[in-house]
Amino acid sequence: MAQPHQITAPSDAALIAAWQSGDERAAAELVGRHARPLARYLSGAGAPDAEVDDLVQETFIRAFRAVDRFRGQCQFRTWLLTIGGNVLKDYGRRAGRRKWMPLDESARDASGDPHERAVASEAEARLAAGVKTLPRLQREVFLLRAQQGLEYEEIAAALATTPGAARVHYHHAVRRLKEILT
Amino acid sequence: MNDAKNGDARLEALAKRLGASAAERLDVEATARKVLAGLREQPSSRRTWIEVHWLRIAAAIVLLIGGGIAVRRIVPVGSGTAQHSHLVADDLGDLSADELKDVLDQFDEIVGSASLMLDSTDLRELDAQQLRAVLRSLEG
Repeated sequence: MAQPHQITAPSDAALIAAWQSGDERAAAELVGRHARPLARYLSGAGAPDAEVDDLVQETFIRAFRAVDRFRGQCQFRTWLLTIGGNVLKDYGRRAGRRKWMPLDESARDASGDPHERAVASEAEARLAAGVKTLPRLQREVFLLRAQQGLEYEEIAAALATTPGAARVHYHHAVRRLKEILT
Repeated sequence: MNDAKNGDARLEALAKRLGASAAERLDVEATARKVLAGLREQPSSRRTWIEVHWLRIAAAIVLLIGGGIAVRRIVPVGSGTAQHSHLVADDLGDLSADELKDVLDQFDEIVGSASLMLDSTDLRELDAQQLRAVLRSLEG
């Protein structure tokens, strides 16, 4: 009896190599895999909702153009997120003193108990505001760890620091955010 | 101790929700199309910047050295080290219209001379050794 044909998705590394050979479908596949986590990261780091689409696109364009410099020191997604951090920083410079719009409350999940939802929304909004006040490295480490679920070793490789330093940044960020939330 | 753990867990749970709505709203297929269109259309700004500045630098070197040589051939500027500190623009400012025309002819001759004819006429494609050869030939 013939075995069912097992189709395994190509790895990010294989897609990167295909893109470097000019395969646009490989680039589109990479966008499909990583666009939403990148949007979450950018939004969590303070990107205005109206700008997230453009910032995601800019991050991918910058990443694909610089992909020759990606040496596999960390996962492609982690590398992409750090580029997103730079894109957001540049956006912040361009925006100058213009105040960023708060998160769009109407677009949040509307399921569950209304009271719990209101409490959660408030806490989330306070956390989002608190994350924006963190120093950049603390903010990036916090999001990579708490939001994206990455290990300290992976974070350290992406941010060119040590796992110990990443851990310290994370704990400083957590302490500060807890103060904001209580 | 439990309070601290609960606080950490609550914080992490909240952090995981951050940006979730923005991610849900993102049209991934449209994003992919726009990214590919951007990659096709936009020139690499860094590459453009380097090319433009390299050409400007190369042009400035050629004009300064070539212009200086051309002026010296037309208008002798005395001997000694003083001539090296002479600004080309100062010399050019003192020339008559006919002398200026001679300078431009000389300059064209220098730039178009056989000594500069390398495999490539594009300065960007020359390596350091070839560039040094170009500069030496311009020194006369």
